[in-house]
Amino acid sequence: MHHAEAAGRLSAHELQNARLGLWLFIVSEAALFSAFIAARYLNLGTSRPEELNQLLGLGITGVLLLSSLTAYRAETCIAHGDRPGFLRNVLWTVLLAGVFLVGVVVEWVEGFHYFPPSTRYGTSFFSLTGLHGLHVLSGALLLLGVYLHGRRGRYGPGDYWPVEGAVKYWHFVDVAWVFIYPTLYLVG
Amino acid sequence: MRPDRLAEKLRLGGRVFGALVVLTAVEWFAARWPGALLWLTVIALGKTALIAEYFMHYSQLVRPEE
Repeated sequence: MHHAEAAGRLSAHELQNARLGLWLFIVSEAALFSAFIAARYLNLGTSRPEELNQLLGLGITGVLLLSSLTAYRAETCIAHGDRPGFLRNVLWTVLLAGVFLVGVVVEWVEGFHYFPPSTRYGTSFFSLTGLHGLHVLSGALLLLGVYLHGRRGRYGPGDYWPVEGAVKYWHFVDVAWVFIYPTLYLVG
Repeated sequence: MRPDRLAEKLRLGGRVFGALVVLTAVEWFAARWPGALLWLTVIALGKTALIAEYFMHYSQLVRPEE
């Protein structure tokens, strides 16, 4: 048994495999989002309804970008042994995820009124924001798990793959929104 | 722990976040330019490149020591 395994850590080789596996998973997820985005353009071209709440769309975009910064800070802090900084930033990320989801709920309430799911734009809007919202929820739950383990003293420099994995997934959720936001709100 | 190195990396994260905010602001105006779809795609790809390189550490796949 390697020293790394005995300590409960991943060896360099295992860590590299884990990273590659996560990236492959992210690529497959990107393909799924790409299909939904392509369907929007195929069904509607570049048209969009005037009733979209542009301010809310921009606001939740800012919230998600900020959550990527806090997620980055959390990973960087634990990599350098700063546990309080790690815990604080993970918690901020989860809170910002909650704010984003509240924003999506508000969007949905307005959307049901102006462009219900039975309309062509509504189909794209609700399927894209719903798919993305589920990813935000799962990412937030992952980060919450990381936070709870971190509070119990898990992770440290050289032993933080679960943090890195959850944070990478969170950044992917942000990247997906980078394309969804202009697709739903700006094009047209 | 190397506090100076940590502070340096946290500052880098702040700069990347600033660049993302600027690109989002540009995106807002680019939506009104002729050929908006092309501009918005280029900006989204730029934002993705920043996040993948600096936040997701994409290059670790080819240079594991980073």
